[in-house]
Amino acid sequence: MAVGVGMSLLPSYAQVANKIVGGPKRIVFFLQNHGFAPLTCIPKGLDESCDLDGITLAEPMQALEPYKDRMHIITGLHGHHTSAGHSAYFGALGGYRGSQGVPPAGPTIDYALSQALPQTILPPLCIGMESIESMKARPTVANLTASGPNQPIFMHCDPNMLYQMLFGSIADGDIKTLYQARSNVMLDVERVAKLKAKGLPRGESERYANYVNGFRDVNGLRDKLSKMPKQLKKYAPEPDERYTAPKFETDWHDALLEIGISALQANLTNVLTIGSGCGEYFGSWKGLGVTGTGHGLGHVDQPGNDTWIKIRQYNCEMLVKTMKALEAIPEGSGSMMDNTLIVYTSNNGEKQHTDGSNWPFVLLGNAGGRFKTGQYTHIKERPINDLYTTFLHGVGAPVDRFNMNKNMADIHHSKLGPIEELLA
Amino acid sequence: MSICRLIYCTVLLTFLFASLAPANEVQFENLAKPFLENFCLDCHDAETSKGEVTLDNLSDISAENATMWKRIWEQVALKEMPPRKKKNQPELMQRLEISNWITDGLAQALKNKGGYHDHLRPIKGNHIDHDLLFGGKHKNLEPASTPARIWRIHPQEHLVRLNDLISPKRKYNPERPGLWTHGDHIPTNLEGETKVYFGLDRYLGSSQQYEVYVRGISGFQSKLSMINDHGLRNYPFLYSVNSSEAMQIAGVAEKILRFMAYGPTAEPYQFSDSPFNMNKIPPQYRRLVIYDKEIKRPLTPVYELMETPGVSDERLNEVINFLFEALTLRPPSKEETAIYLKIVNKSIEDLGKEDGAFLGLTPIFLDRDALFRPELCAIGKPDKHGRVMLHGQELVLAINGAFSYIRPQTDHLGTALAEGNLKTPEDVKREVTRILNDERSRKPRVLQFFREYFDYDRAGSICKDEKSLQKDGGHFGTYYSAMNSMIANTDRLIEIILHEDKNVLSELLTTDRVVYQPYTSGADFRPGILFKTDIAYFNARGKKRIPYKEYVEIEPTKENKLVIERAKRLVHDQNKLHHIFPNPAKPIYVRQSPFDRGRAPPAKNSLKAITTVDTHERLGILTHPVWLVAHSDAMDNHAILRGRWIRERLLGDAVPDIPITVDAMLPDEPESTLRHRMRVTREKECWRCHQKMDPLGLPFEMYNQLGIVRDTDPRNNFGQPVDTSGEIILSGDPALDGPVTNPIELIKKLAASERVNQVFVRHVFRYWIGRNETINDALILRDAYKAYRDSGGSMKALLTSLLTSDAFLYRKVQGE
Repeated sequence: MAVGVGMSLLPSYAQVANKIVGGPKRIVFFLQNHGFAPLTCIPKGLDESCDLDGITLAEPMQALEPYKDRMHIITGLHGHHTSAGHSAYFGALGGYRGSQGVPPAGPTIDYALSQALPQTILPPLCIGMESIESMKARPTVANLTASGPNQPIFMHCDPNMLYQMLFGSIADGDIKTLYQARSNVMLDVERVAKLKAKGLPRGESERYANYVNGFRDVNGLRDKLSKMPKQLKKYAPEPDERYTAPKFETDWHDALLEIGISALQANLTNVLTIGSGCGEYFGSWKGLGVTGTGHGLGHVDQPGNDTWIKIRQYNCEMLVKTMKALEAIPEGSGSMMDNTLIVYTSNNGEKQHTDGSNWPFVLLGNAGGRFKTGQYTHIKERPINDLYTTFLHGVGAPVDRFNMNKNMADIHHSKLGPIEELLA
Repeated sequence: MSICRLIYCTVLLTFLFASLAPANEVQFENLAKPFLENFCLDCHDAETSKGEVTLDNLSDISAENATMWKRIWEQVALKEMPPRKKKNQPELMQRLEISNWITDGLAQALKNKGGYHDHLRPIKGNHIDHDLLFGGKHKNLEPASTPARIWRIHPQEHLVRLNDLISPKRKYNPERPGLWTHGDHIPTNLEGETKVYFGLDRYLGSSQQYEVYVRGISGFQSKLSMINDHGLRNYPFLYSVNSSEAMQIAGVAEKILRFMAYGPTAEPYQFSDSPFNMNKIPPQYRRLVIYDKEIKRPLTPVYELMETPGVSDERLNEVINFLFEALTLRPPSKEETAIYLKIVNKSIEDLGKEDGAFLGLTPIFLDRDALFRPELCAIGKPDKHGRVMLHGQELVLAINGAFSYIRPQTDHLGTALAEGNLKTPEDVKREVTRILNDERSRKPRVLQFFREYFDYDRAGSICKDEKSLQKDGGHFGTYYSAMNSMIANTDRLIEIILHEDKNVLSELLTTDRVVYQPYTSGADFRPGILFKTDIAYFNARGKKRIPYKEYVEIEPTKENKLVIERAKRLVHDQNKLHHIFPNPAKPIYVRQSPFDRGRAPPAKNSLKAITTVDTHERLGILTHPVWLVAHSDAMDNHAILRGRWIRERLLGDAVPDIPITVDAMLPDEPESTLRHRMRVTREKECWRCHQKMDPLGLPFEMYNQLGIVRDTDPRNNFGQPVDTSGEIILSGDPALDGPVTNPIELIKKLAASERVNQVFVRHVFRYWIGRNETINDALILRDAYKAYRDSGGSMKALLTSLLTSDAFLYRKVQGE
């Protein structure tokens, strides 16, 4: 439990949200583990900010060529203070010290944004992609997202469980009956748990309340979802064999993405965080023909490497899928995609064993016109926190700093306010 | 001492002994201001601002100045400030008083901003001075107690209870004490997985063994989280159960219930008599797991409920009571049974008997008392200090929980309670003594302490850079399994030493014994196969190998094939033994998970070997590869971490948190020794803390990052001789301070020190009492140390003393 970082500096994001009219509605974070080598995205020799018009993206990111006009590639940000090593864990989206076993020191940017954007019933939704064995053994895992100090938010890795959770109420017949019966049992569990809270000393009852509130949240969510069957039916994905009998882990990765996209389309959530590799330093992509698994994947130079071409291409296909799905839904005077920002990066800087000195980001979309697009920008010496401050400015919830207190700012070259070059 | 000082101290002490009154009663004006003026402002006012720290503008503790006050707390508590060379130093009691005032104040100020609990964490336990606890006469101490609380169960505890529902209970075999027995912790496999399996005991075989076996046998890991960090990890206030964990528990509960009723999910043709002939299984079914027809799991009321048609309240109550007791370790009250009966009946109404019962019984797995152990003393009249002694079921569970994760099959504690013989500390002593002396009663909690104390169990999660691993003599493909194997081996060694129960700490630190795996899992003796065993890590590089015995080829026949394999293996081992271990080894069983990707059918337990080391090269656990690797990083040793371990766990001191202004990284110089790269810590502002760590960790440079003794040829060490010198400084025991030439000498000095043994006692206190010690625990700690010392270093005597102390037996229910 860290003292000092971001503790007294949290603006009330929820208050700000009420002021937003139109414009930014949703953000998607996609973090690929093992690092994001800049040369897998931009051509060699590019070190000055410029227009993307004259640039050809590197092979792994080819799928995004048609979308360059809405893209913004950013390099040069640093994450020295996140202890990125094998993964910065919560530090990647938190902008504070991460590292294995270290609890989150404060809220992460995806959570902060979910509170700042127009509210939905499940902000944020986090999904995690790993090997099949891993996803089955750990259907929920928390490494990337947090709502506050020592308050991690879990990624869902089992698409069947996630589907049940979000869309179970609209199923038919036996599944519906089972869903109802489960709901009844969970309500009873909450009731019994509450009974046993009586007589606990104050400090203990707060800790026990975490336990009880867990059931309350689960039951509350079920309740809200049960009141929106039409919307759920319209956007719910079809759980096919990929869900129930996956041939490869990528079947489940695709299924999870599908559910995530459906959740965005149905406005169940305003922030989707995708942890490809679950924010750790393992992972598996046999479905792409990648034979290696585990953390050895990170011990290779990515540019030109067959495995990494495949993985990043797969990532980009997912991004394209997401964009197309959002383009298909009208919103305001355009489509959902017009009011969306997608943020693609890694939880591990530019490579494994990094010191965090160059942390690349690829942004897609401009969330209602606030973010510059069609650019490559090389930032000299600012921490990733400042990018996150920029996001908050961009969605209309401005703050001076994000998880960066005054004393640290100088050491980490953090400036007050957003990175101006990134905002329209 | 001047008159002013005397009055000042008296005033302070009065405040102190008024049970360390909360900060808002002892104002900044009365305590902190005079302290700052007396000891701090000479160097830290606006004019002088030494170290860029200004304190004269400080006032009462608030959220805004909390960071500064926290720094002050650490510096003052750890005697870093005023600088040691200054003559004007606060008394230890003054330090304690200001220390408590600050931490109380921080807790108040940050109450609604996430709270402040840093000082309660195990790693901050040394912030109360050792000499206050073990020296000086303290009058008017408040009688010790521990706050009333609920203690979330340990993930192992949870797994063991769940395993108990679905796995046979292996009886303790005194001839083979190393075998896994009912009540032991769930062992980890070579992959580093700790899992409970469904039906593994009934596994007979399958074709395509590896793939089918691995995919066909399902299991589950712990659903409860644990801090993945160094040191003691399990204080009650650190844990709750969140919604995700709860939902996962509910999910696995259903699977468990179904298994309890029906056994493995398999088709009839997958069950066979044992031994079985694969050829008798129709070809289309061979790529499946084949199970023994004989039922092996315990047959419980859940089984009976499903086996017999129909359902009734009576039968359901039997199931509920059974499950409740298995999961909470106590019988349910009438009210509790009634609540769960209602839930399961409703569920049966919704879904029918089968699905309804399985769903409707899962809430028992989520009962508060299935996941937390209460120490609330809700009934009972508090004494004048607001304390109540643990009694009834809570006392039974506390005593049981000090050792075990389940209730033993013969319920002595329950009987004692029922007969009215579990009321006094003498009763507790009797029961504790009985448990400690009963080998059949398994005590995984004790081993877990040593894991958290030494941290050697972290070796399996230290990632190594492939190139660097190979350069240092490791083998990337087998590194993790070697580490996980060695962790289990070290567990066994510790159990042996605990069984002997003499000079336990000293023996752990200086034993010449080691448990290791002598052979590979395959009978392949190509030259160089050594890397597949963990012998490779006990190696010394650059040492010449002398063959011990010539192997003479024997013509293999059908009859002698197995004999040859064994003989080959024996000679091979002896060859390796001769120049790695000086003496022949004896066989010994080690608890390793039966489920292993490399082995099918499942290994029952691992047969390993125990022998002795060359004590010029190694001595005790701190020189075992698992400890060394656990305190290393991806590419090299971590001398700072090793030094810190010694500073904290053996010397009872601590290093303040790294200031946020510090970018703590060693230079990236691949052609330099670690010692040379660590020169940067000698900068003035760094050395103040690093002097407490570096000289203690650097002697272990004798070994490389895999725990292998380095080649002393400078040509293989970046042109430098291997420098294993170090120093013990600021230990608080002048007899202990001084230079050392190598880690063996360092370890011997530490093991012989009384202070070190006392610090060990402090850690034992923390683990079993579940909190950091306070000044009020001083006499308990002294008694505990005396019991340990006077019994010749017996862990049993130490535990008996602690578990009959007020700190363990009394809960504070009022006056918080």
